[in-house]
Amino acid sequence: MAKARPISGLSAEEPYATAAAKIVAVRAREVADHSHRVLDVSDIERVHNMRVATRRLRAALEVFEPCYPRREFKAALAEVKAIADALGERRDRDVTIAALEDFAEGMRAPDRPGVSSLIEKLRAEQTEANAELEPFVRSERLAALSERLSELVISAQALAGSEA
Amino acid sequence: MKKLDRHEPLADNAARIVRVRLKEMRSFGPGALEPQRTGAQHDMRIAAKRLRYVLESTEFCLGRSAATARRRARDLQDLLGELHDCDVMLPRVEGHLAELREADAVAVRERAGEASDLDPRLAARASHRTSYRGLEMLIVYLQARRGLLFDRFREFWVEQERAGTWDRLERAVARRLRAARERRRAAKRAEQARHELEAAEREKSDAALRAASAAADLQAARRTVRGGIPRPGG
Repeated sequence: MAKARPISGLSAEEPYATAAAKIVAVRAREVADHSHRVLDVSDIERVHNMRVATRRLRAALEVFEPCYPRREFKAALAEVKAIADALGERRDRDVTIAALEDFAEGMRAPDRPGVSSLIEKLRAEQTEANAELEPFVRSERLAALSERLSELVISAQALAGSEA
Repeated sequence: MKKLDRHEPLADNAARIVRVRLKEMRSFGPGALEPQRTGAQHDMRIAAKRLRYVLESTEFCLGRSAATARRRARDLQDLLGELHDCDVMLPRVEGHLAELREADAVAVRERAGEASDLDPRLAARASHRTSYRGLEMLIVYLQARRGLLFDRFREFWVEQERAGTWDRLERAVARRLRAARERRRAAKRAEQARHELEAAEREKSDAALRAASAAADLQAARRTVRGGIPRPGG
């Protein structure tokens, strides 16, 4: 799992809104950076890393809620949640398939058909989940989210400036 | 999250959030320690996740105990996550097994056609007959693994309570919030003192004006006394 990136120049006495701008900017970039080739089922860590990045972003948004305009905040959070849910559906299948494959490896060949049939069923669900994930990770949709988050960051910066 | 104040520093708000998240996670302790309370274990996992992600961005505000608590919250989340995977997978495997059994029963019945009774050899040739054993083994494995993971979880939780991982974080949060309260009170006192000083200065300035006016009156009266009463036609 990718580690959370450190937020440079952050201090404990930082005004809340300034911290909000800095943290959300970094967490938003993490989501974008982990979005490459998430639909590739041969490397399941990509979906996992992007999912963790969306969780970190979601946590950052919720923690700093009072620093953002209400309507824009809700819209951005809903979009992040929708992406996280779609990633979660894919991830659930990835994890189960990997666990079943591990288990099947330790079995004698005549005992495998039942587990293999379950894996087959899960592969079909994984394909379906991947198809449902696809619109959420299209570059234009992620760019729109990025834009939306940038606006939140600017709002938080403006708030910090007006209160300084 | 209530009581967040955007006018206060990051550390004060972080302490408030961590206090709520920590309390929430610990509240699931008694229930989650009972093996069959899968709901409480799931809730504790979500709470541990929330605590972990808040600490990831703010632990530096609360010192070393926060970094330790963040790592332990991650370990707890991982452990409970594996437990949850077993809970999700078990009914799936059982459901799959039931589907295969049902499909075989239907197919075997069809093969029997108009027979007065079912030939056991038809069941022995059921198309999924080789699947049952592996799936039953998988169910046994998942049940046993769940038991093992639950024991690890219980030991882990007891060990963190014994080591004071959460208590130390709670104390760090309480220290920060106490300092914030004292700062707020000091700021309030300073504000009150400023108001009093302004009032006193206004009072002083009013008194100076009144004194100047009285002095002028006094001077005019003295001039009148020194000059005597003017004579008519003089």
